[in-house]
Amino acid sequence: MKIRLPLEKRRKLVSWLFLLPATLLIAGMSFYPMIKAFLLSFTKGFGKTSEFVGTYNYQRLFQDSLFKTALGNTFIYLIIQVPLMLILALILASLLNNPKIKCKGLFRTMIFLPCATSLVSYSIIFRSMFALDGFANSVLMNLNVINKPINWIGEIWPARIIIILAITWRWTGYNMIFYLSGLQNIDPQIYESAKIDGASASQQFRKITIPLLKPIILLTAIMSTNGTLQLFDETKNLTNGGPANMTISISQYIYKLSFEYSPQFGYAATISFIVFLLVAVLSFLQMKVGDKRD
Amino acid sequence: MKRKLLSVTLMIAMVACLFTGCSKNDGSSKTGSNNAGSKTSDQVTLTVWCWDPKFNCFAMDTAGEIYAKDHPNVKVEVIETAWNDIQTKLTTAVTGQSNTLPDIILMQDNALAKNIINYPDAFFDLTNSGIKFDQFASFKTALGTVNGKNYSVPFDNGAAITCYRTDILEQAGYTIDDFTNITWKEFIEKGKVVLEKTGKPLLSNQAGSPDLLMLMMQSAGAWVLDENGKPNFKDNAVLKEVIDTYVELEKSGVLVEVNDWDQYVSSINSTTVAGAMNGCWIIATVTSAADQSGLWGVTNIPKLSCAGATNYSSQGGSSWLVCANSKNKDVAADFLGATFGGSVELYETILPSSGALATYLPAGESAAYAKPQDFFRGDTIYLKITEYASKVPQVSYGVYNYEARDAIGTAITKIVAGTDYNTAISEAQKELEFQMGQ
Amino acid sequence: MTKAKIRYFFAYAFLILVSFISVFPLLWMLISATNTSLDVIRGKMSFGTALVDNFKQLVQTTQIGQALINSFRNAFVLTIMSLLVCSLAGYAFEIYHDKWKDGVMKLLLLSMMVPFAATMIPLFTWFGKMNLINTTAGFMLPSISTAFLIFLFRQSSRSFPYEIVEAARLEGMSEIRIFTRIFVPIMKPTYAAAITVTFMNAWNSYLWPLVILQDKKSQTMPILISNLISGYTINYGVLMLAVSISTLPTILIFFVLQKNFTEGITGAVK
Repeated sequence: MKIRLPLEKRRKLVSWLFLLPATLLIAGMSFYPMIKAFLLSFTKGFGKTSEFVGTYNYQRLFQDSLFKTALGNTFIYLIIQVPLMLILALILASLLNNPKIKCKGLFRTMIFLPCATSLVSYSIIFRSMFALDGFANSVLMNLNVINKPINWIGEIWPARIIIILAITWRWTGYNMIFYLSGLQNIDPQIYESAKIDGASASQQFRKITIPLLKPIILLTAIMSTNGTLQLFDETKNLTNGGPANMTISISQYIYKLSFEYSPQFGYAATISFIVFLLVAVLSFLQMKVGDKRD
Repeated sequence: MKRKLLSVTLMIAMVACLFTGCSKNDGSSKTGSNNAGSKTSDQVTLTVWCWDPKFNCFAMDTAGEIYAKDHPNVKVEVIETAWNDIQTKLTTAVTGQSNTLPDIILMQDNALAKNIINYPDAFFDLTNSGIKFDQFASFKTALGTVNGKNYSVPFDNGAAITCYRTDILEQAGYTIDDFTNITWKEFIEKGKVVLEKTGKPLLSNQAGSPDLLMLMMQSAGAWVLDENGKPNFKDNAVLKEVIDTYVELEKSGVLVEVNDWDQYVSSINSTTVAGAMNGCWIIATVTSAADQSGLWGVTNIPKLSCAGATNYSSQGGSSWLVCANSKNKDVAADFLGATFGGSVELYETILPSSGALATYLPAGESAAYAKPQDFFRGDTIYLKITEYASKVPQVSYGVYNYEARDAIGTAITKIVAGTDYNTAISEAQKELEFQMGQ
Repeated sequence: MTKAKIRYFFAYAFLILVSFISVFPLLWMLISATNTSLDVIRGKMSFGTALVDNFKQLVQTTQIGQALINSFRNAFVLTIMSLLVCSLAGYAFEIYHDKWKDGVMKLLLLSMMVPFAATMIPLFTWFGKMNLINTTAGFMLPSISTAFLIFLFRQSSRSFPYEIVEAARLEGMSEIRIFTRIFVPIMKPTYAAAITVTFMNAWNSYLWPLVILQDKKSQTMPILISNLISGYTINYGVLMLAVSISTLPTILIFFVLQKNFTEGITGAVK
């Protein structure tokens, strides 16, 4: 009775309909302002005094020592922190997916807590724990690891370590929950038969868990790369970019240029596009490695 | 099939609802500047952004009550907004050409020149509004004056003071008078004695924060930008003396560096240090340790040895601005003139409960200002501070104030860590020139 | 057997250590909420007696009730809309994948790579022209559809057994029913994770609500907290209480949903 499209075509139409609302929203809410911001990167001044300056802002980048510092800092965070956090999250997730471990719900909730904890409170406590006369120093002194207090927030590398610790502390549990939800899609029988074949726990982890979780690992890797390159909260609240800008992140610099300094929106947009390019290239590489359907 | 239909309809309905904005918040879609009529007989609501409920919000509310006595049709609505958030909203609104600003904004003095010069159309010129600007401390009105036009009504006082724990000074054989009208050289000498005898440094400071350095600069009427607004680091003798003094303070242990504001407050309240030097608003922090009542004393700051040096300076402080887009800007101007620029009663009311000190000089003659303060050993500190305020040297912070302060903060961190003065200063100069050369 | 025991001992020790480090700041926050500001700033580490006073002051000086309601309403509606739109898209990107859709997905991923500080002003200008300032729609529109959620559902669908879809089609199920009746229940763990993080992000969102919801009545929790730390004298006890209250909903949601992370039914379906 009904006139039906051929099944394949119908399905195709339905599939596009399914992703239409999401795609349209992103196009309007992200791409449109992105293009606007891109155009902005070829201007200087703002409002009525705005003028087109070609690639002036892009040339300026090369003379900007603060930008170079921020870029370097951000890469230090990226290279050290992202792998550290993802590996930790994977280990925790697979431990908490083990049916023999008890009190899993409690552990899961506790490890998730940091990302729910307010930035305000945790930055206050991190700063006070790592103060000169703080908790960290007294523990290390008592253990005779150090013989004089470390000025954690006042020296370059200790301050960077604090930031790396803080991000790891805050986001490990967050990444863990994606792994946990992903682990549910792995058939427990695979582990059972591996055990029968005599595979050790670490072999199971490497040969089963990681390959089967690959799509989710890719997701978290891209997300964390993106998150680190847009890092703002930790450097703003823990060290405020100091000492002497040696921990400032790119996003904090963009914020300064837009809202603290006499605004340089064109230049801020230019730096944003450098971030964009960097994340895009890194994500592209990660997709190349991790997004094969086998 | 029915279920499918239902879910699809539901989704369409929800999306449609979103796009048409059917869920407007309580129908009040615009902020204050639009919802009041322009005729004076109508009800007028002045909306105000300011940020401290016990301090400037309270002052604004009180001003609203005082004004309403003669103008029953005018109501003041304070919208508590953190200072950083005010700056973000202001920048967004002006750049986005949207009419979301309130009628009156409170602004940090540090940001006055930046915002007024960058957004010349955003603020209402108050020069001819009848406000008597000569009744305010002159350094404050100067900050809000651009090209001879007055844009801001000065509010709280940032006059610099030093608070000392007199009990600790006594242990070292000093009284507060030994720290009044002194030079930095004397301060360091006496500070060393206090440190030796009591183990307490005199001051604490946030590492990398330029506040104290800027305070010292202004005390000599000097600044890091020259009169043409160009960076002036390299051959700036005052800056050299300020930094040398700071380094000596730090090296001798008379000043101890802490890492953030919380630890700064803690060092004062927990008697890690024997004093605090800052804008006079620091009194609120000092007095929050109620168990130390009667132990504190207030005096002026030490002075540098260069020409023009004084014992007076300013740090922090804020001023009121009227937004040019406001439909009630004349009412707003009249309101500010009648209250913050003309009502001793206002300042008398707000002082005891908020500690909000005026830069409106006639307020200093009121009884409230002459009241002895038990926390400070019965001293009439408010009179003192009002007097200090009238002596603060004028400087022009300029559009690039925040950039300059950051550059100084970076330089001092490097110098304290051991970098050579000239290297750090020329790097700072280069950094600032880059930011200004957009 | 003893070897296994040692392994479990280390596993527990590790978990307990990580949990302790994770919980410690939260615990400290709760302790601080019961102390006076001065005690907090002096580093007191034991429960105090100022909780009631802090609470009174919080209620008197802020509109915390209104802020909680606003935050909750915003986060709730946004989470539902967001999950609906994004899970459907993520599902479609994977189940009906072809090279065009893979391309579109990659393009969408680009959308999350520009710092929001850069797109905020153009977006605000545009919303101003469309009269969306101070509307719930204005607040929600930019964050309903996120590349991250779509990507999450797409990646999670990758292990979704395609045979089930084909079997359902043979039984004559429509495409939308396959999604709602089969996919949604099976993907419960993913939905649980998605709800948790979406709610949390919406609950904590700061910069956009700050500029788009300027009405006094639309104040949300993060903005209330920002106001609390901006005064010349910060009352740390009150601040910590507000922060504790603001943390609760996210923890509660996680606690309710976390069972789903390990109660996946994929195994049962197979």
